[in-house]
Amino acid sequence: MKKQVRFVLRHVVLLLLAVIWLVPIVWLVVTSFSGYKGINTAHFFPQTWSLDNYITLFLKPDSVVQYQAWFTNTLVIAIFTCIISTVLVLMVAYTMSCLRFKGRKGLMSFSIILNMFPGVLSMIAVYFILKSLGLTNSHVGMIIVYSAGAGLGFLIAKGFMDTISVSLREAARLEGASEAQIFWKIVIPLSKPIIVYTVISSFLVPWGDFVFAKLILNSGISSDWTVAIGLYNMLNKSLINKYFSIFCAGGVVVSIPISILFVIMQKFYVEGITGGSVKG
Amino acid sequence: MMKKILNSIGNYFKEFGTAVAKGDIWVKLSLIWMGAGYIARKQIINGIIMTLLEAVFTIMCVGYAAPNLAKFGTLGTVQFEQVFDPLTLTSTVNDYDNSFLILLNSIISLFLIVVFVIVYIANVKTVYRLQQTKENGRHINNFREDIRALFNEKFHITLLTLPCIGVVLMNILPILVLIAVAFTNYDQQHMPPSALFTWVGFKNFKSLFTNSTTITFGYSFGKILIWTLEWAVLATFTTYIGGILLAKFINNKATKWPKFWRTLFIIAIAVPQFVTLLLVRNFFADSGIVNTICANIGLTDFLKKIGLVASHLTYIPFLTDPNWAKIMIVLINIWVGVPYQMLIATGVLMNIPEDQIESARIDGANSFQIFAKITMPYMLFVTGPALITDFVKNINNFNVIYLLTQDVFVTSDQMLANSNAKEVDLLVTWLFRLTNEYYNYKMASVIGIFVFIICAAFTLITFTRTIKGDKEDQFR
Repeated sequence: MKKQVRFVLRHVVLLLLAVIWLVPIVWLVVTSFSGYKGINTAHFFPQTWSLDNYITLFLKPDSVVQYQAWFTNTLVIAIFTCIISTVLVLMVAYTMSCLRFKGRKGLMSFSIILNMFPGVLSMIAVYFILKSLGLTNSHVGMIIVYSAGAGLGFLIAKGFMDTISVSLREAARLEGASEAQIFWKIVIPLSKPIIVYTVISSFLVPWGDFVFAKLILNSGISSDWTVAIGLYNMLNKSLINKYFSIFCAGGVVVSIPISILFVIMQKFYVEGITGGSVKG
Repeated sequence: MMKKILNSIGNYFKEFGTAVAKGDIWVKLSLIWMGAGYIARKQIINGIIMTLLEAVFTIMCVGYAAPNLAKFGTLGTVQFEQVFDPLTLTSTVNDYDNSFLILLNSIISLFLIVVFVIVYIANVKTVYRLQQTKENGRHINNFREDIRALFNEKFHITLLTLPCIGVVLMNILPILVLIAVAFTNYDQQHMPPSALFTWVGFKNFKSLFTNSTTITFGYSFGKILIWTLEWAVLATFTTYIGGILLAKFINNKATKWPKFWRTLFIIAIAVPQFVTLLLVRNFFADSGIVNTICANIGLTDFLKKIGLVASHLTYIPFLTDPNWAKIMIVLINIWVGVPYQMLIATGVLMNIPEDQIESARIDGANSFQIFAKITMPYMLFVTGPALITDFVKNINNFNVIYLLTQDVFVTSDQMLANSNAKEVDLLVTWLFRLTNEYYNYKMASVIGIFVFIICAAFTLITFTRTIKGDKEDQFR
């Protein structure tokens, strides 16, 4: 009897917690289907339901809502960012994990400290460097901002590569393989989980960032924006009462692909983190 | 440690000295013509590359570095002037100095010069080594062999070149610029191109610790620094402990459908952070849905009665009163952070040696004792370094604070408002506002340097142990 009470109690607590965690998400979804534009402050669930917000989002772009353009922009930026970042991260991770050369440890400590330097601080200088290269208000500039420094985030990938058995590489070397061949033919194929993790996590960066996007795409032409600044702009004091439910719809649409990628990624993330630290 | 570094620096220059002193005519000629030593050893292509490099560097120095560095001392003297010609209806602009461009270009020039000097010294050493190789009658690589070496024993150079260029462009140069700006008077009154700015020494550092009727940076800096550290500690530990407890709760054998529960929590964090945070901010707005509900069920009146809400308000100031906002930010951060930590903790908990827990249970330990004596120490051992990383990330947790309070929270503290700060600001959000809204680059840079020092100190403490511990090779 006591056991049964405990069993029920345990699941009631879990249910309660789950509700707390899901309330905002539910609110996001129901508001996106509401029949009016602004915030409904009187009721949690909308009084009238409609698909208007999604229709505006995709079929009736206006001066504020350019969702398709934003989505395409972000997608293009994200694809290039993730390719460049992944290549850079793998290059550095392999070098730090598998190669031995003078100054390796010094370089590693240096890059870890450098990586701690928050991007927000160097923002102004980054902006002016891009401006002097003529890359502000361009997507190439955004790609550079998101991917150029990616090499510093090598730690998780390195931790993973550290667990790849050294004897495999030794054997290949005895057979006359060069370091480049070992990299391509042995370490890269064995690092699949961490490559998937790196690809997805760098793909997600442009979808979530709005600080740099706001700074660099500052011309005010909304068709140049990314999803993040577009949606942020809708919550302007002057716009929020007309666009809040469209913001919610936009949030739902962008969340669907991202949540799927996120769920795939977190599996590899846990593997990378625990695999790396448990084994040393 | 210090001695080791000094020693290696000493050796670095000693080798250079030896190379110059003992080198033959070709090595000495390499001091002027960098390609000479290679061409003498029949490494023609290497010789041409080095000669070209030297030529490009010389052109860079004359055309780019020299004019900028000449003005580096003053950061420009010619004020921007525009003359409107009423006859032609055009305006002409004089050949003015742009202080920021001078600063930026000078830093790039200095950086390139330092890199060149390093290459130059390495070049002389290499050429001397070639001479020795030849004297000893050993084989000298031809160009094709040199290239092949780049994919073999020198593969690290090939792999690191591109990442290094990226990091220099996006991380190192901006940091150098930031440090330089901290010593200038670059602010709204001194904005290029229409105005010049110049060096002011340590004046900005002084004003960060000054507290007078006109300058309140000292007051604000102290207040915000304390809140930043409080926040970082609170945010890190609440989510960490919360995550472990939640993971343990879900993974407990008595819990049915653990996967289902875990998925529910993951859904909450899979939505991009800027969407959820902006949403939650409207959720808790003064005239928002939560306030409506609280008023309806009488919670607002109850809180008024016990004095937690000021009596003149008709709503609960979730994100508009300093104390309420701070508590709400920490709570919302728990909402954001606990599922992440739960995921990580789940992974780590699965690796806990089961036999230890079993034997403790046989010895009569209750579940709390097991948690405190076995689970927690193990978790701390494995995730300790990650905990410090989280702490540093929280010091710079821009998103949570900015998205929740920007345009919503208005400070009533005049001292803070004078230096454009708010009670709920972290150092980074304060800095962001100083640059983005008030163009106070000089003070923002000084704050930036302090944030960097704080973060670097915490990082160094943890990572010197992990890196220097040399455990990397132990487990392979």
